[in-house]
Amino acid sequence: MATNRFICEICKKGFQRDQNLQLHRRGHNLPWKLKQRANKDQIKKKVYICPEKTCVHHDPSRALGDLTGVKKHFSRKHGEKKWKCEKCSKKYAVQSDWKAHSKTCGSREYKCDCGTLFSRKDSFITHRAFCDALAEESARSFGANNLNFRNDLNGNLTNHQQNLDHGFSGIPLLGAGFRPDFTGMAPAGNSDQKPRLSLWLDQGNSQLNPIYANSNLFMPNMMQMSSNNNVFDSSNQFPWLERTAASANLSLFPPQGLKEEAVSSKGLTMAAAVSLSSLYSDNQNLHLNSSASASMSATALLQKAAQMGSTKSNQTFFNNPINRSELHQVFKQQALENSPPNFVSSTSTTSIDGLDQSMQRSGTVENQQASANLHSGFRDFLGMGGEGGANSFLPPELAKFASMSSAMGLSPFSRNHQHTTL
Amino acid sequence: MFPMMSVSPGMMSPYPWLKELKPEERGLYLIHLLVTCANHVATGSLENANIALDQISHLASPDGDTMQRIASYFSEALADRILRTWPGIYKAFRSTRITIVAEQILARKMFSEFLPFMKVAFVITNQAIVEAMEGEKMVHVIDLNASEPAQWCALIQDLSARPEGPPHLRITGIHQQKEVLEQMARVLTEEAEKLDIPFQFNPIVSKLENLDFEKLRVKTGEALAISSIMQLHSLLASDSELRKKSLPMPMNAAGVHLQRVNQMNQRSSQDLIEKDMVNSRSPSNESASSSPLSSIPLSNMDSFLNALWGLSPKVMVVTEQDSDHNGTSLMERISESLYFYAALFDSLESTLPRTSLERLRMEKILGEEIKNIIACEGAERKERHEKLEKWAQRFDFSGFVNVHLSYYAMLQANKLLQGYNCDGYKIKEENGCVVICWQDRPLLAVSAWRFRRGIHD
Repeated sequence: MATNRFICEICKKGFQRDQNLQLHRRGHNLPWKLKQRANKDQIKKKVYICPEKTCVHHDPSRALGDLTGVKKHFSRKHGEKKWKCEKCSKKYAVQSDWKAHSKTCGSREYKCDCGTLFSRKDSFITHRAFCDALAEESARSFGANNLNFRNDLNGNLTNHQQNLDHGFSGIPLLGAGFRPDFTGMAPAGNSDQKPRLSLWLDQGNSQLNPIYANSNLFMPNMMQMSSNNNVFDSSNQFPWLERTAASANLSLFPPQGLKEEAVSSKGLTMAAAVSLSSLYSDNQNLHLNSSASASMSATALLQKAAQMGSTKSNQTFFNNPINRSELHQVFKQQALENSPPNFVSSTSTTSIDGLDQSMQRSGTVENQQASANLHSGFRDFLGMGGEGGANSFLPPELAKFASMSSAMGLSPFSRNHQHTTL
Repeated sequence: MFPMMSVSPGMMSPYPWLKELKPEERGLYLIHLLVTCANHVATGSLENANIALDQISHLASPDGDTMQRIASYFSEALADRILRTWPGIYKAFRSTRITIVAEQILARKMFSEFLPFMKVAFVITNQAIVEAMEGEKMVHVIDLNASEPAQWCALIQDLSARPEGPPHLRITGIHQQKEVLEQMARVLTEEAEKLDIPFQFNPIVSKLENLDFEKLRVKTGEALAISSIMQLHSLLASDSELRKKSLPMPMNAAGVHLQRVNQMNQRSSQDLIEKDMVNSRSPSNESASSSPLSSIPLSNMDSFLNALWGLSPKVMVVTEQDSDHNGTSLMERISESLYFYAALFDSLESTLPRTSLERLRMEKILGEEIKNIIACEGAERKERHEKLEKWAQRFDFSGFVNVHLSYYAMLQANKLLQGYNCDGYKIKEENGCVVICWQDRPLLAVSAWRFRRGIHD
């Protein structure tokens, strides 16, 4: 430590600079004087350049500020590393660097699952966020958790299928000569494959059984696909999708042994779709959030809900209560109807760009407006008019719903239990 | 309609078609259910609320996609609100809950580590302080919630790099936990010693609403800076209690500026009650002063701001959530907070993977905020966030005038955001204040103020 040459006469506290002492004296109510710089206008600061001619800092415009600094720089860059850390064998040219390092060496270490060591917490955390080892682990947990994954995948791939149908018609690359061989793949699912397979087979494509033994993830899509073919327009909105699938086809399934007959174009689409699913499942490992990109951001969902609420078409939602599968269809229809085509399409892209686009598009809506819409949309959604009793301002359908459900006697609270309004 | 089968934990969901919903549909349906449930809760039709919550439970999940997570926290908040109508059950339900303070502190730290919002607030705050303290030799900084040493480390470095040399620096940190302050003292003292800056750290262990301004020991001749990051809104909670009682007008400890206090409160945007109190007192009656601030358990926002004003701060930098979660009606609060927290959860989704434990912890903290906004009322509801305009009005009434944040501050903030490599974070300038947004949704607003000497400044 540097010497404290300036001592306070009252409390004997030491200071390295006279200025600090003077400030301190103020606290004791002693007279104090702060010196100003003598020549305020003609301040010339000394700077130091590195003597090594090849160095960047040899140039005055890149000069360093103080002598000690330039000496340290010279040693570090152009000097010999004479100091060695005992623990980790790291070498230093400057003694103070070496000292500083040996203080912290080995004291705090972060180890990622992939084996990399970090001394700094922030670099550790950044690494972990993108580490491949982590990705593998979560892929394993994905595999175990088929149900959820399948849902997401369903959601993503249904859209893909429909577009693929149209998109691939023009690709000569995937022409009739292409026959994927899947016999080598171990089927992942077991007994529940059979019934699905036969269902699918009934729809008329008998050649590609082995493919789907592998991708149990994929099965439910097939059923939906044939029924939902008409939803999207046929213009090719996903050129990237074709490219990806095409390259996936070529890379993942090189034609090895040709056991099947010539594959029809529809079958080809299936194959491409399957390869896409494998590609997708690989992608799940690498991009942990790719399933997220297929679903809209919460902000976008809220704005959509507000739009739906402010247009009164939600009445259909309440008007078809009886058949629950009908209700599901209505709701799906709702979701599809109320959005402009490009909005929906942007949600079905799995690329991060697509997500950004959809987010940007939804983000341009003025938020104040949106939140006002949501609020009034909420009220419209529920048919609220003003204050009143419990069921009186629910729309008649909802009120019916409420009384129906309590009539079923299954609500845990007795019907007559009065609650205070919260 | 929906077949009402009782669901026991082992059974399959009675609504198998729910599993077939695509994420977007599920999200929209969740929003619908949340709104429906909120309406039922607001009107007291708890049976219907129960049905809605049951439906939500089949779709929501704290580790699913963004909307699923939001729905799980919002539905928990609504359930919390409902359960409070049975205080006995409510208390019994929470009787074994143990909050580990150290964990909470750690979890809050994650916000500054993983999300850029806090760091941006720090950078802007520090820059405003450095600019205001140009030429000052003695600087005193008061941190209304001293939890993050990184902010002040950066300030120490900035000040030591001043062309005129560093000032004599004093930092007073206020926090409820002694250990946090001790840690901060260690870190900052070390940093100051390294850079050879005369430095002193004063810890004050106290709740903000019980703050004894005497303890701050602001000296004459010091240039004072106040930093408040997401703290002031909790002081609004005690206001709702005070509206019912009529308290004598608190004065600041120095007992001066009474004239000013009277005039300000005549124009106060807060209470008619206060207006009455002012009219009934004669301005010259200084000797019959009310008790000093320290003995008043609940200080309302105005008196706190008055007290701050009384310290004559050279700059006061305030960061607050820029969203109105303090509406009197539940539905208002729910709809505003849905948008706000949706944006926050979206930003977490874009920054951290779904499996990240840190993200889950941060979302849990956000869930506690959501619960407070929705389920609590009165003095218990601390998360009374309000829009920037309202805060600006308040500060204006309490004798502060706005100091525009500099372009350089915004540059630094933007540079910081670029390092995050994520498109969503945005900064915009609004009347000299900086608003940190996710996409277009304002999340935090940073503004700087100084005290106004005369009434007509």
